[in-house]
Amino acid sequence: MQLRRIEGDLWEIPREGRMRVPGRVYSVGPPVPDDPALQQVANVAHLPGILRFSLAMPDIHWGYGFPIGGVAAMDADHGAVSPGGVGYDINCGVRVLTTTLEEEVVRAKLHAITAQLFRDVPTGVGASRAIPRLSDGELDEVLAGGARWAARRGFAAAGDDAERCEEGGRLRGADPSAVSERARARGADQLGTLGSGNHFLEVDRIAEVYDAGVAEAFGLVPGQVALQIHSGSRGLGYQVCDEFIAAIARSRGEFGEDYANLPDPQLAAAPIASALGQRYLGAMQAAANFAWANRQVMTGLAVRALLHTLGISERDLGARVLYDVCHNVAKLEEHEVDGARRRVLVHRKGATRAFGPGDARVPAPYRAVGQPVLIPGDMGRYSYVLAGTARAMTDTFGSSCHGAGRLLSRGEALRRGRGRAIARELAARGIEVISRGKKTLAEEMSEAYKDVAQVVAVMDGAGISRLVARLEPMGVIKG
Amino acid sequence: MRLALPQPHEDLGHTADVGVRVRGATAEEALARLVLAFAALASGGAGVAAEREERVAVAGGPDLAGTAVALLRELLYRLATEGLVPAACEILSADAAGAEATIAFGRRDPELHAEGADLKAVTWHAARLEREGDGWVAQAVFDV
Repeated sequence: MQLRRIEGDLWEIPREGRMRVPGRVYSVGPPVPDDPALQQVANVAHLPGILRFSLAMPDIHWGYGFPIGGVAAMDADHGAVSPGGVGYDINCGVRVLTTTLEEEVVRAKLHAITAQLFRDVPTGVGASRAIPRLSDGELDEVLAGGARWAARRGFAAAGDDAERCEEGGRLRGADPSAVSERARARGADQLGTLGSGNHFLEVDRIAEVYDAGVAEAFGLVPGQVALQIHSGSRGLGYQVCDEFIAAIARSRGEFGEDYANLPDPQLAAAPIASALGQRYLGAMQAAANFAWANRQVMTGLAVRALLHTLGISERDLGARVLYDVCHNVAKLEEHEVDGARRRVLVHRKGATRAFGPGDARVPAPYRAVGQPVLIPGDMGRYSYVLAGTARAMTDTFGSSCHGAGRLLSRGEALRRGRGRAIARELAARGIEVISRGKKTLAEEMSEAYKDVAQVVAVMDGAGISRLVARLEPMGVIKG
Repeated sequence: MRLALPQPHEDLGHTADVGVRVRGATAEEALARLVLAFAALASGGAGVAAEREERVAVAGGPDLAGTAVALLRELLYRLATEGLVPAACEILSADAAGAEATIAFGRRDPELHAEGADLKAVTWHAARLEREGDGWVAQAVFDV
C-alpha cells in the first residue's frame, strides 16, 4: 500500500480504484504498509456517501470491516449506515468519576476496596444479575431512557450524572420496538455488569495535570482519586448488531451495485434513508441507551462499594461523573463540510467524540474549554483525560482516539505471559488487580497494548485533542 | 461424518479478536471442524460432556461462507442464552441456501471452562468456506 506524509504524524492513503475518498491515518511512527488495518481504512472509503476522508486515529489496529480506530462520516441524505462501522459492542464507552478522596486514604484500604468492587459489580463471561431481572416494560424504559433511567432508580454518584454524559446519557432516536426478542433475551439480565476482555473498572490516582485551567474545569485535582468504568451494551448490543448485519447482507442486492460490491462483507451497509437503515438506527440507539444505563448502574454499585468499605458519607466521598463517552457508535451530527453546514452520520468505531470549545453540544460546565475526551490505557500504566479542540471539528469530524490499541494478538499475549504472575508483578508496583478469567491478565497485560502516552501525544501534537491530565491505576477489576 | 472435540484448528493471529482456520476433505467436514473450533474457543480447550443431541437448521447465504457464519451465529446465540457448547457435530448438508447439522451439546461449566473466551459475535470479515487445493478450508473471526 502506498502512503504519503501530509504533515507530522498524519499520512494519506491516496484514492484509487473504487475508493470514493482518500484515507487519512494519524500514526505513532510511520505506518507499516502491510498492516491489514490500513487496507481496512481503504475499504471503508468505498462506502456510499462517505465525506472527505476515511479516517483512522493513532490507536488504529486490525478490526473486522472497519479498522478499530476508524472514523467515517456519511451524508445523512444520500449516504450509508454500516452496523459493522459501529461494532457489536454498541456504545462501548468510558466513564470517569472524580472523588474528593485523597490517594493515601484509599491506598490504606486498597485491597478491601478492590475486593468489594469485585463482589458488587458482576464481571466475566456472561455476567448477570447485578440487579433483579427487568420486565419487558422496564427494558423498554431502559432502551428509551439510558443513563436517566438508572439515575432515577438511585444508581448515581450525584444529581447531575446524566447531564455530564455525552448526549445527556441517551440518544433520542431510540426505537425499543426495533430490538428483537433474541436481543432482549440475551441482554435483559446483564444490566449493571462489566463483561470481560478489555472491559474494566479502575480506582485511579490523578497523577499529573498538564493544563491546570482545564483540569480545574473538569474537577481533576492531583493526588485525588477517580474511578474509571469501561463497558458497553453487553449481549443486547451484540445481538442487535449481529442481526442487522445479517439482514443487510441478505438485502444488499436491493440497494444497488454500490452496496452489493463492497470489498468486505463485514462492511454490509444500507442507505441511511432506507427502511432497514432507519430500523437499524433505531435499534442501535436503543442499545446505546442500554449501555449508558449499564454504566450508570455500575456507577451506583461502585459508589455504594466505596461508601461501605470506607465507612464514609456521600458528602465525604464527593463523587461525581466527570464525563461519559461512547467510542462505538454512529451519530447524526451537524458538521461543516466544504464551507457548508451539513447533517452527517459519523461512524466512530473505536474513536471518541472530541468537540471543541464553544460547541453547544458540550455540557455547559465544559463549554468554554472543550469536551472531556477520556482515553484509557492499559491496567499497568496510565490513562489520559484530554479536551476536544476546534481543530478536531475541522479535521476529523470532531473525533479523537479511544485507547491504546492492541499491539499483540490475544494468543501471542498468552504465549508471552506464560510462566509469569501478572497480578503479583502489578502488586509489586502498588496496583491491586482482581480478575474473573484465568487468562484475562495475560491477554490484557501492558505489553499487549501500544503505549497510550504515544497515542495521545499524536493527538495532542496534531491539535485534535489537548492533554489535560494523567490517571494511574491503583485498583483494577477485570472480567 | 460425525466429528467430536478435540479437533485441530489454526489461530489466525488476529490482533483484537480471535480468528480460526480449519480444513477438511469436504465442505461438510470443514464446516463441522469450524463448529468444533468455535466450541474449543468457548470451552478454553477443556472437555465438553454431551448431554443432548439436536438437529439444527439455518438459512444461509448469500454464499457458502455466509452459511458458515449463519450456523455459527445460531450456535453462539445458544451459547450466550443457554450455555450450550457443541461437543460433537455432523453436517448433514451445507450449501449457499443454508445448512443442517446434528449437534451434540454439553453445557458451559464456569469452573471447567473458565479459560473459555467471551465470544460476542461471529463476524463476516474474512469468513471462508471454499475449496483450496484438494480439500476445503473454513475460517471465521469472532469478536471478543
